[in-house]
Amino acid sequence: MKLTNRSQFDQLVTTATDAFSQLSDGTKWVISVGMSECSFAKGAKDTFQALNLGITMGKVDATLRQVGCGGWCWAEPFITVSGPAHPPIIYANVNADDVPELMQSIQHGQPHGSALGVIADQPFGDIPSIFDDPFFGKQRRILLRECGFIDPYSIEEYIANGGYSAWTKALFDMSPEEVIEEVKTANVRGRGGAGFPAGIKWESGRRTQAWPKYVACNSHEGEPNVYKDRRLIESNPHLVLEGIMLGCYGVGAERGYNYVGGEHILAVERFKHAVAQAYEYGLLGENVLGTGLTFDVRTRVGGGAYICGEGSAMMYSIMGERGQPRTKPPRSVEEGLWRRPTVLNNTETLASVPSIIRNGGEWFAGIGNEKSTGTKLITMQGPLARLGLVEIEMGASLREVIFDMYGGMAEGKVLKGVQTGGVSAGPLVESQLDVGLDFDSMKPLNGMLGSGGFVIFDESVDAVEFARYLMAFNRYESCSKCTPCRLGNPALVEIVDRILNGNGRMSDLDLIERTANHVIGLSLCGLGQVAPVPLQGMIEHFRADFESKMVNETSAPPREPMLVHAADD
Amino acid sequence: MAQDVDTAVNAADTDRVRALLRDNFQPQDHEEAQELILGALQDVQHLLGWVPLWATRLVAEHLGVSENRIYGLLTFYADFRTSQPGHHFMLLCHGTACFVGGSQNLINELRDHYGIADSETTSDGELTVQVVNGCLGVCDLAPVIQFDHQNYYGKLDVEKFNEAIAEVIRQGPVENHHEAH
Ligand SMILES: Cc1cc2nc3c(=O)[nH]c(=O)nc-3n(C[C@H](O)[C@H](O)[C@H](O)COP(=O)(O)O)c2cc1C
Ligand code: SF4
Ligand code: FES
Repeated sequence: MKLTNRSQFDQLVTTATDAFSQLSDGTKWVISVGMSECSFAKGAKDTFQALNLGITMGKVDATLRQVGCGGWCWAEPFITVSGPAHPPIIYANVNADDVPELMQSIQHGQPHGSALGVIADQPFGDIPSIFDDPFFGKQRRILLRECGFIDPYSIEEYIANGGYSAWTKALFDMSPEEVIEEVKTANVRGRGGAGFPAGIKWESGRRTQAWPKYVACNSHEGEPNVYKDRRLIESNPHLVLEGIMLGCYGVGAERGYNYVGGEHILAVERFKHAVAQAYEYGLLGENVLGTGLTFDVRTRVGGGAYICGEGSAMMYSIMGERGQPRTKPPRSVEEGLWRRPTVLNNTETLASVPSIIRNGGEWFAGIGNEKSTGTKLITMQGPLARLGLVEIEMGASLREVIFDMYGGMAEGKVLKGVQTGGVSAGPLVESQLDVGLDFDSMKPLNGMLGSGGFVIFDESVDAVEFARYLMAFNRYESCSKCTPCRLGNPALVEIVDRILNGNGRMSDLDLIERTANHVIGLSLCGLGQVAPVPLQGMIEHFRADFESKMVNETSAPPREPMLVHAADD
Repeated sequence: MAQDVDTAVNAADTDRVRALLRDNFQPQDHEEAQELILGALQDVQHLLGWVPLWATRLVAEHLGVSENRIYGLLTFYADFRTSQPGHHFMLLCHGTACFVGGSQNLINELRDHYGIADSETTSDGELTVQVVNGCLGVCDLAPVIQFDHQNYYGKLDVEKFNEAIAEVIRQGPVENHHEAH
């Protein structure tokens, strides 16, 4: 049902809002099951089937629906029950076996034992409000607002929650320049790692005098400890899509791309599905809502190479080539995909734009701190009490996030360090945890916000082994195009291996430093330029782990690794 | 190419690949055709479990690109398998969260007790492993493995790892139990 003007869209908003509010107005029982990659891994499909069976057999009169992931991965499979007798309740860890008992309690209008909390400001009986739990209460959910609450396959549910109102506002009430102006005022900085202001990139994209132009969304997410972008797409694909569309309108591009890591199968499927729905309603395609404007969005998949997250490599990959970075200039806003101007942003960056257009750049700039505005998706891993995905206000302290929101260390575990910035920065230690999570505060500590993935590790992890792991990751993922990275990283792995094998000498630490500086200073792209940084950070903070493995200096010197010379000359 | 050129091509599989390409990969021009190569290879692999030589020929033909180019992609991108996997396919996550949880022990166990490393198949043809240098996206289950694209085992130590492998092999090849999970 193609909409051909704005008032038809407004009508759709009204019907969609009515239908959606009936799901939670307490007139009927509604059971929502979290269905995403992370919940499937814990058996959510079985939970869903068991509920479905119970309902078809007439055990309870309820509507069964699916929603995305809300970020509380430790509580999966989760379900939310709303109905006449109580405010919506989130139940944690509901397996298929728990379903019969749960159905019985619903039948009796009673909450069941395993409740995590009620979605209300006040507790209900002995069930606390989820907002009293710091995991929920301390979040600032803007991007995740609908995640875990709406059906990712339903464009109507997205629209009922304000979806595509930024799109119509931009199309009918704003010029492209005004859209860019809001993004600049918001000062939203790139969430893909580098923190470059998106508004400025959009402006140069708009100014480039060559057509056609493209907007590309980077949903590659190949880092070894991050899953924020795919989870966002799985849970609310339309939000990302609307962000890409707004980028196209601002920049003056008729076509947007979303490049998704090929291994993120569910994200690819749900994003494609969302795009198809947007075409059906005429929000994409020719003559969008009667404006005479054309917009297309293409989904492209990768093949499991971390380097394809780098901008120029990503574009080669989209063009069906090996993803190997190239030297800049020209920058991709001048010559990107098919050598045409291309504005590249991370998924999370683009997903921030709809709320900026709806609420204004000033509003967004008021969240977070002065230099890092808005919110940040964070994933924490390791031996913590709880694990999952949260959205914090920029600047929140790392300590607060670890110890309040994630509930601190798991029982019996002692924090040794926190690896920051994925594989591109060094670790932080206990005394540094008061640092704020934003783009700039961690830099002096050789840490990095990066894409918001943090790995906590405890005393069971040896710093030399961990450093070797991070080095080996970068060595393996090097595209081998330039020599410092291709030879320097294997040399560094070799030196660390020597230390691990008990043949290291104190002088190896200097050799590491010199080799690392070669790799950092001479590599062509961001992979090589930071590849040795985690190793350097591990040495800085856990020197004792390295020194304790060194051989006595007076014994015969070991053979120099062959590759070291290559990188050291 | 590191694969068995003589693998018997089964007519039904050829038809499925042709249908897949025809139905889902219709480029408007040569630029778009090139954009579709990786996606087509991914879908072929989802369908067959790997990318045999005959299928790369079909993709090349369908999209109007050279086989050589496709070979260059298959060998660059870690996702693709150019030899036939065993009865069961295991993704072993070696992301950072899994590493700090002990995934290295699992990799060592594969080497020591099953005689396989990344991308290899056990000599009895039961199990192929692919070590994921990324993240399976379920770090709260770290260290975690996934069998046959759907069946996860998490919070593993070596003992549970061996039990999981034994259990999956006992269940028989996946074709016989689609509902497995
Ligand atoms: C090795 C490497 C991997 C990268 N991987 C990603 C990625 O997976 N996702 C991403 O958005 N940016 C990634 N980046 C950063 C991109 O090059 C680029 O800066 C970013 O996508 C721009 O978007 P933003 O300004 O919105 O952050 C990577 C960079 C390098 C050097
Ligand atoms: S620095 Fe490494 S990844 Fe980057 S272009 Fe050079 S070899 Fe490739
Ligand atoms: S690192 Fe293994 S699932 Fe994320």
